[in-house]
Amino acid sequence: MPVGPFGIDPVIWAPLRLVIAVGLALFLVLNGALLQIYLERKIQAIIQDRLGPYHVGPFGLLQTFADALKLISKEDVRAQATDGWFFVAAPALVFCPMLASWVVLPFAQDIVGANLNIGLLYLTTLGSMTVLGIVIAGWASNQLISYEIPQILALVSVVLVVGSLSMIDITRSQAGPFVNVLILPFSFVIYFIAALAETNRTPFDLPEAESELVAGWLTEYSGMRWGTMLALSEYGNVTVVCAIVTTLWFGGWQGPGVEAIPLLGVLWFTLKVYAFILVMMWIRATLPRLRIDQLMSFCWKGLIPMALVNIAVVAVLALAFPTTKIPVAIASWVLLVIFVTGIPIVQRQRLRTLRARARAATAPAVRAAS
Amino acid sequence: MTFDFVEPVVFALLSIGVIAGGVAVVMLSRITAAALLMAFTFLCMAGMFVLLGAETIAAFQVLIYVGAITVLILYGVMFTKFGDRPRALFFQRQTPLAAVFVAAVAIPVAIVALSFTSAPPRPGGGDLIALATSVFTDFAFPFEIASVLLLAAMVGAIVLTKRDDPEEAALRRRP
Repeated sequence: MPVGPFGIDPVIWAPLRLVIAVGLALFLVLNGALLQIYLERKIQAIIQDRLGPYHVGPFGLLQTFADALKLISKEDVRAQATDGWFFVAAPALVFCPMLASWVVLPFAQDIVGANLNIGLLYLTTLGSMTVLGIVIAGWASNQLISYEIPQILALVSVVLVVGSLSMIDITRSQAGPFVNVLILPFSFVIYFIAALAETNRTPFDLPEAESELVAGWLTEYSGMRWGTMLALSEYGNVTVVCAIVTTLWFGGWQGPGVEAIPLLGVLWFTLKVYAFILVMMWIRATLPRLRIDQLMSFCWKGLIPMALVNIAVVAVLALAFPTTKIPVAIASWVLLVIFVTGIPIVQRQRLRTLRARARAATAPAVRAAS
Repeated sequence: MTFDFVEPVVFALLSIGVIAGGVAVVMLSRITAAALLMAFTFLCMAGMFVLLGAETIAAFQVLIYVGAITVLILYGVMFTKFGDRPRALFFQRQTPLAAVFVAAVAIPVAIVALSFTSAPPRPGGGDLIALATSVFTDFAFPFEIASVLLLAAMVGAIVLTKRDDPEEAALRRRP
């Protein structure tokens, strides 16, 4: 009789592995959401010079648990005009793709649900499925669809350099200190900006806009339906996006001491992922929300052309110099500098033309009045 | 004990999903439900591709048909102010004629399908490099034709939606 890992018959191990993976992913999503909500509140409180939650448990640590219990025990309210099955199906349609995308996240050397050789494509696919649920739940703006384009374009440049779509291979290619962010900083910046929009985080949280729209498309939801939609799915998606950033640009599980103790990879991976989650929270506490036209014009006139230029440059240089990555790195840094310095200049120019147009529009009226 | 029985069972479930979803899309009078069930049908099709070992095709199936086309159709349904309409579309009144057409297509397909006796080929669809090579070398011309067609359709859609907006024209006339 063949013996698989841990002395278990492989025939039993195959389904058991699946059960363990799903259970673990659910556990991580649920607890990650609780932890991230706590972090979000505390960090915003610190940045805004407040205390944040501090009543329930030490340092308010149990506050989110109390909130979750409250959500679970809440009455399941359903507005009369809602569309029966859609209302019920939408939270599941948002939640399931998010949960499924945890399958390919490489937590450490061998700790990964499935080493798909199209891992990155799989993640992109599931990201696009989430949109379906959101569209059904309410009227999401087409921000989600627009920002998927620069996101995918940014991923492509990494794939061009690494030459694989597998999350494991991409991590393995970044052994040593020269992680991809040093080679492709520009695609990282594009991806991170687009990912903020994709996960509905400030400054791109227009569909939600808690302060004005009271979480717009979610208003009709209450109790745990709301909890699944917003808390679990949003924070789960944030984690997935940060895990993609970690894997693609920051070496994934790799870090000091991983060769000796492979389990240390889980620690490095988690630390890196949470570092990016903290950056997202920091951005949320710092930046104001964009207007919808600014959002769309930034995507279509700024991010997408730059991402296309990035792909073209990286593809040409990767073909021209197959052995060394230095030309790609130089070109990517130059593009990043152009992008960062270009935004204020272009914005000032735009503002000037807008003001001139406004003045020209009001001038006849002023003349008529005087 | 082996798991050989799993594959036929999964195939049966997926085919039931595809056929039932497809039938429901045609028969249902609620257009939003039809759109959603279409996404379900596409998902089951993607499952079929996975079963055949063509994961890449499955991923593209979901990415394009579920993620893009169904969402587009849902937007279209939501923006055109038609609610759920009664079954009064003209082609739904011609059931006998439809039955003739369906039979004309379905019977030859069924005969051809049942005449296959050899084992299904295993394309190993996860092999992205082979797929990419064939798309960009052997099938480069059809690929480009399809791209041009899509571009033309896109430009046409923009032209059709953007025509004759008096406010827009007035804005453009001003220097």
